[in-house]
Amino acid sequence: MNLRSIVSVLTALGLGSSMAFAQADATVQADHLAVELISESPVLVPGQTAWLGLVLRHAPHWHSYWINPGDSGLPTRLSWTLPDGYSVDAIAWPAPTRFEVGGLYNFGYAGEQLLPIALHVPASAMPGARAALAVEVKWLVCREECIPGKASLDIELPVSSVAAAPTAAHRERFEAARHALPVATSWSGSARLAGDRIAIRLDAVDLPSTEGLDVFAVERRILDNGPVTVRREGDTLLIDVAKNDYFEQAPAALDLVLTRRMTNGGAGAWQVRVPFVAGPHNE
Amino acid sequence: MFQRTSLFSALVAMTLSASAFASAEIGKPAPDFNLAGADGSNHSLAGYKGKTVVLEWNNPECPFVRKHYDSGNMQKQQAAATAAGVIWLTINSAAAGKQGRLDAKSANAYIAESAAKQTAYLFDPQGIVGHAYGAKTTPHLYVVDKDGILRYAGGIDSVASTDPGDIAAAIQYVPQVLAELAAGKTVSTTRSEPYGCSVKYGG
Repeated sequence: MNLRSIVSVLTALGLGSSMAFAQADATVQADHLAVELISESPVLVPGQTAWLGLVLRHAPHWHSYWINPGDSGLPTRLSWTLPDGYSVDAIAWPAPTRFEVGGLYNFGYAGEQLLPIALHVPASAMPGARAALAVEVKWLVCREECIPGKASLDIELPVSSVAAAPTAAHRERFEAARHALPVATSWSGSARLAGDRIAIRLDAVDLPSTEGLDVFAVERRILDNGPVTVRREGDTLLIDVAKNDYFEQAPAALDLVLTRRMTNGGAGAWQVRVPFVAGPHNE
Repeated sequence: MFQRTSLFSALVAMTLSASAFASAEIGKPAPDFNLAGADGSNHSLAGYKGKTVVLEWNNPECPFVRKHYDSGNMQKQQAAATAAGVIWLTINSAAAGKQGRLDAKSANAYIAESAAKQTAYLFDPQGIVGHAYGAKTTPHLYVVDKDGILRYAGGIDSVASTDPGDIAAAIQYVPQVLAELAAGKTVSTTRSEPYGCSVKYGG
């Protein structure tokens, strides 16, 4: 029995969707959210890293969640099925937006958002072969009310020893997504527990100004999820935020994402890791 | 008179915002309350002094709540607790017009349909009790001991998801806390991060 007849038999048995050679949808429209799996490059090059994107299209007023969802919600989760030798990194989370609902706060995305994922193509991948990439996506989409959803998405890409330029549309979307990723910085600073508050200071010559600035912790249960107070003193940013209700223990270090959204449409995002130091009021 | 009312409103607003989500503290007296129930009676925490009390924040339409009701996990915990003499109060803090807001009739229909086994289903449409406890999600669980001291605040279990398939492998915190209290032991897990939908407060 050749491969094609095996596929035909399996397809007839209803097993086609799990087969690498079967076509599956790259886009699924669910309640209030459409999800699509795309690749920046039309081909995969052995030994190189390619960028995949999970495109989330939220209905107006609906949102899904960042890695730290805030007071409620769940981050979007991916479970991949890849050919032997292929691997993916975790989602490179774009900078989140803070949403307020009845005095509670969530962090996530609205509108159209691409979540980038790095795909590592093995050096042993054979040019001329096709690689089937499948992912199961689970999410929670909320307005005030919430609806959990999931979808199985597939794409199939040819392996080529020669890189190929992305289409203009894909290049634009991935460039926009990379632009929304927090820029890693080497700012110095520290976080300190002071009673029920956490005081964070950042010191650098290239700090953003405080206009439109917001601060998020990647780790849950450290900072309160409500708005933070940010003050600038020279080359120092002083951030004051309440301790999270479920704070247990100070971590060794705190990963922060700062975002800046200005009324003129300008935007920026930065990531910084600061040590958590014992303070005079440490509990 | 008008000015006095405005001043009063402003003071109430300030008090509420200052205490909003200040959160009840473990090991301290749990905030007292007196709320109307779907059974037509009022229920106060002080009225249950001498008994262990579980508080469960509820929104019947929230998928995280449905995970635990559709699977029967919540009713099982309610039945076991109340059979052991524990008072289980389900609280709905949804404001008027918000998702999950129930009146007595619809709450009683929900209790019958889901075969829920709580002692009473209470209404907190102003969100006052929810704010006093710092209730953020549905579900969000609290355990108050016989002396009125808060012993647990947090999630129903240890796996944050909407998938009922995750329940079996998750640590169910409330039964654990109740067993420890009944045995006179120290509560091992006093807090966990709650997961769920946001409580649908007004404003």
